[in-house]
Amino acid sequence: MANKSRNKNASEKSKTDGDDVSLYSAENIQHNMRTLYYSRTFLSIVGGIVAGILGLTGVSGFLFYFVIMMATSAAVALKAGFKIGMYFDSLNRVTLDGLTAGLMSFVLFWTLAYDIVHIF
Amino acid sequence: MAVDLVVGLLGIAALGHAAFSTVQYRNILKVTEEAFLWPPFYVIIEICISLVLCFWAALRVPGQFLPVLPDLEEDRLAQLTENVDFMTFNHRGRIFPLKIDEGLNLND
Repeated sequence: MANKSRNKNASEKSKTDGDDVSLYSAENIQHNMRTLYYSRTFLSIVGGIVAGILGLTGVSGFLFYFVIMMATSAAVALKAGFKIGMYFDSLNRVTLDGLTAGLMSFVLFWTLAYDIVHIF
Repeated sequence: MAVDLVVGLLGIAALGHAAFSTVQYRNILKVTEEAFLWPPFYVIIEICISLVLCFWAALRVPGQFLPVLPDLEEDRLAQLTENVDFMTFNHRGRIFPLKIDEGLNLND
């Protein structure tokens, strides 16, 4: 009698509504989150250098950062074929995760590029 | 993978070249004593090109997304139990109808 058990990677992560238990492969979720984090960090750095070259100061620089992050979210959604449910467990992860960490990198490279291009 | 890395490096190189061009532009502005507002047009074009290249590399280099849901058709792993000899099926539970049977319509 064949017992079809779950994929080896699967570990239980059930949703809170009682009847519907969804299993997600935690290892794959972690892999996807790591991929997303690498993409975001790299694009934050690139965005910082661009903001420095363009000579943005003050609020406009931070606005530029959020524009870059929205573009990243759109690009990631495009990469996932807009089937976000198949690769992530919630849409918030795609849009909001890693935003603050990227902000630090952005500001660092923004000030670096601005100093190199405009001051020295 | 290697192509995407090269594309990313090209993007960063274009960015560096744009930075260098902007520095030269600022030196010219110092001579003519004008204020700096925006970098010149060709530098902005170069920045846009390098942004496109860097976006491409940033999405491709870290790798593909893996499917998360466990029941997809292409990733099934069926495990058979080894101790079937120790399983009894001739018990009182055989009286209960299977959930599948309740959906069957036997009155064709």
